Amino acid sequence: MYSLSYVKAKSLKEAAAFLAKNPEAKLLAGGMTMIPTLKQRLARPTHIVDIAALPELRGIAAKGGRLVIGAGTKHHDVATSAVVRKAIPALAGLAAQIGDPQVRNRGTIGGSLANNDPAADYPAAVLGLGATVVTTQRSIAADDFFQGLFATALEEGEVIVRVEFPLPKRAAYSKFHHPASGYAMAGVFIAQTAGGVRVAVTGAGPGVFRWTAAEAALAESFKPAALEGLPLDASGLNDDIHADREYRANLVRVMAKRALAKISGKK
Amino acid sequence: MEDTRLVTGAGTFAADWNVPGQFHGYFVRSDRAHAEIVAVNVEQALKHAGVKAVVTGADAVRAGYVKPLHTLNFPGKGGMQTRAPERPVLAHTGVHFVGEAVALVVAESAEAAQDAAELVEVRYRDLPAVVSPEEALAPGAPQLHENVPGNLALEAEVGDAAAVEAAFARAAHVTRLKVEVTRVAPNPMEPRAYIAAYDARADSYMLHVCCQGITTLRRHLSAYTGVPEEKLHFEVGDVGGGFGQRTPAYPEHGALMLAARQTGRPVRWVSTRAEGIACDTHGRANVIDGALALDGDGRFTAMRLDWVNDMGAYLSPASMGHIRNTSTCMTGVYRIPALYATYRVALTNTNPVSSYRGAGRPDIAYAVERLVSQAAVDLKMDAAELRRRNFIPREAFPYKTPTGSTYENADLLGLLDKALKLADWKGYTKRRAQTERAGKLRGIGIATVIENTGAGQAPKDEVELELDARGTVTIYTVSKSQGHGHETTLAMIVADALELPLERVRVRQCALEKQQLVGGHTGGSRTTVGAGSVCHLAAKKLIEHGRPAAALELGVEPSQVEYAKGEYRSKESKRAVKLGDIARAKPVSVIAEGKFGSTFPNGCHIAEVEIDPGTGAAAIASYCAVDDIGTVINHSVVEGQLHGGVAQGAGQILGEKVVYDRGSGQLLTGSFMDYYMPRAGLLPPIRGAEHPTPSTVSPLGVKGVGESGCTGSLPAVANAVMDALAPLGVGHIDMPLTPAKLWHAIHSARKSG
Repeated sequence: MYSLSYVKAKSLKEAAAFLAKNPEAKLLAGGMTMIPTLKQRLARPTHIVDIAALPELRGIAAKGGRLVIGAGTKHHDVATSAVVRKAIPALAGLAAQIGDPQVRNRGTIGGSLANNDPAADYPAAVLGLGATVVTTQRSIAADDFFQGLFATALEEGEVIVRVEFPLPKRAAYSKFHHPASGYAMAGVFIAQTAGGVRVAVTGAGPGVFRWTAAEAALAESFKPAALEGLPLDASGLNDDIHADREYRANLVRVMAKRALAKISGKK
Repeated sequence: MEDTRLVTGAGTFAADWNVPGQFHGYFVRSDRAHAEIVAVNVEQALKHAGVKAVVTGADAVRAGYVKPLHTLNFPGKGGMQTRAPERPVLAHTGVHFVGEAVALVVAESAEAAQDAAELVEVRYRDLPAVVSPEEALAPGAPQLHENVPGNLALEAEVGDAAAVEAAFARAAHVTRLKVEVTRVAPNPMEPRAYIAAYDARADSYMLHVCCQGITTLRRHLSAYTGVPEEKLHFEVGDVGGGFGQRTPAYPEHGALMLAARQTGRPVRWVSTRAEGIACDTHGRANVIDGALALDGDGRFTAMRLDWVNDMGAYLSPASMGHIRNTSTCMTGVYRIPALYATYRVALTNTNPVSSYRGAGRPDIAYAVERLVSQAAVDLKMDAAELRRRNFIPREAFPYKTPTGSTYENADLLGLLDKALKLADWKGYTKRRAQTERAGKLRGIGIATVIENTGAGQAPKDEVELELDARGTVTIYTVSKSQGHGHETTLAMIVADALELPLERVRVRQCALEKQQLVGGHTGGSRTTVGAGSVCHLAAKKLIEHGRPAAALELGVEPSQVEYAKGEYRSKESKRAVKLGDIARAKPVSVIAEGKFGSTFPNGCHIAEVEIDPGTGAAAIASYCAVDDIGTVINHSVVEGQLHGGVAQGAGQILGEKVVYDRGSGQLLTGSFMDYYMPRAGLLPPIRGAEHPTPSTVSPLGVKGVGESGCTGSLPAVANAVMDALAPLGVGHIDMPLTPAKLWHAIHSARKSG
């Protein structure tokens, strides 16, 4: 780690003001990405601004047809919350599969979304459910939030405060774990929302994306058979020593089918 | 006995050591695979706050720390002698793999050393790199070292080429298979950490290290640096895993010695995990082109194996196992009349390869067992039956193999039958049908293996027992547990022979004041066979040693004195002399020694796997292991060793692999994000059984066990996966059998089939 200064924010306002004054400062929530990055000397912030304990970022509540989760909420809390399990059980299930117990006891939804790792799980849920990311400055629709490899719509100094999920009719997430890292090698989140079927894919490409061909097919017939022979452009998918693009395309199809099977209650 | 301390954070590992006045070291390492070093500029680094010195390759050359020991002392083909490159402890004229140490920054704090390291400027002239051993041996490949033309360090052969050729000519069937045993990183839980201190008055060095025993390390280091062995002293605490990676002397040892001498202070270095994956010696990395000849009755008549051994950029001191052990055990558990093997040792722009749990034995077991299982498929025979037909019969032991080794004893038929029963071999088709109904593929794989263990290279093993007035016995040995449970096993051996409660016996390994004891390090599954047997002898010697003194006290002739349960008694006198009483005036010490040869543990492992055809993911559904490890001293210690070994083999088959980029030589699996590690859920509970044929090589009847698990699991798990895919017409697939690989094989087979 390079030398840096640690600052513990007493309020969101203070954190945002500090970031505005110190452009080379970075936020710290759970630290599950930040700390390894710092240890490997891949980043050199002047300050770390700790917002993990801010009460403004806490809370899980279901109100007015939406599930609202504070950005500082840990994966473990989402996974075990009775409110989440009732409102969107697929979301609780997704959170329960992130990393390992140690990661889940510290990692936060806000941190995961702000980082937008192409193999993270939460982006699939947020895009798949058509959620809204509420920040210190505005509300951003999921379709506008994710902008590619580690890139989001967030401006400098803009902090995620909470995520608002409209409640779906039904939803499920199926993930194939990367054998080494445990991240998603392909993770598919399918939801029947008020606005129609949404299919979000993480892990397979340079960022989370919607499989629009699948959304159209499932809108006609919400059955695994509808996914057979559907076009999925493999050329844009990731290709590395662990999985080539043809295999990843296969995983997307298989995970989509399995998510669908979970929704209809079949095994 | 050591478990509580080790699992509750109370162990003292190398990075727990701190000495007064110490400085901290940080290595500057090459970021490229092959380059000339044009210049090393340390000016800016030296100016950094807290920096005391920067040691470079020039210092290494000046000190003469340039030629490591190697152990490829085999007669080469046509009288060829091994060509070993020089390797200054810090690279001087060139770098030959990513991660090679180029400089050592020494500072008052570890952070200062790391910061200053970024200020060291190294100017390189890039050269093309080669990371595949076969490509390295091909004409036109980039040459790594001037004195190793064609990157061929050694070419050797063993066996009878003519006899094998004749047998192949008249064979009824020949099975051919070319297999790769991948390069893996040992990844012991404890990263390397050393402190080197120099005593100017005595002109000697004190090294705090994690190692597998001081004698081999000391010998290597003395040869590397020219410092006489008696001037090298070691402090060793608990060691968190070794697997062969901690046996040799490393350049880092030498560099730290130079730094300590230069600065006049102890210098401490703790490796990061990234450094460990890149620079701790790797394991295996062999390519074997094999052929097995059979007659019309399914009997093996000959086998030929052509090896390419990738040893990395330099020859590590402990890499001989890939030739020695693979020829010792070449015939496996079978009676094969004609054998021939060739070895070509290749140097590549990669991290050096050394011993890793099995040191060649898992490799030969894998090559042979894959050939045998493939032959069974070719001949449409039951895989167990083909093996049974070719086993070395019990009456043939001691069995002299065509490659010159002699197997002591084994009951292979008994072993096989026990394993088949334990695994419910007959009931397999039912289980497969069940798996298929669930939409998956199922396969069963068997491996019957044998390995040589115990001999080691030390001239003998010495053990000292020290008895105090309270009757406590301390065992001194230069072996070193890295999780082997020696503190329990060795104590049990002595407690048993002295008929004392276990709590009265303590074990001290590599104690500072007892480093003159002769003995092997802990590797090659030899400590219980070697040092353990000598512990037994030492205990007996202690009893004899005390008899005259006891006789004097009891007022009888020594021949009238009997020893039992910690006491000397005579038939006439009602009095007893406690063992501790003979040490009343001062502690009593005896030293015993012994040299025992090789023992041959053997086993039959049977694995079943289920494969999800949609994703290609393979899961181990069951694992049975029946092992002949001779007489067993502590069953849970032995079981732990077997389970660990099985997991390491299974992990290698299903995912572990060190990968270098073909063009640039960059390490692509530099962290656990990309380097797969087996986890607890990989294996279901292992069904195990012992099938001992006691060894007569030592008084304890034990055979080595430390490495046996992976010798069995490497072929068993691979055979199971191949069995699952065989009905689809899929032939051999090389490890690691990752989901992507298996899916492609299934997908292609189904498309064409």
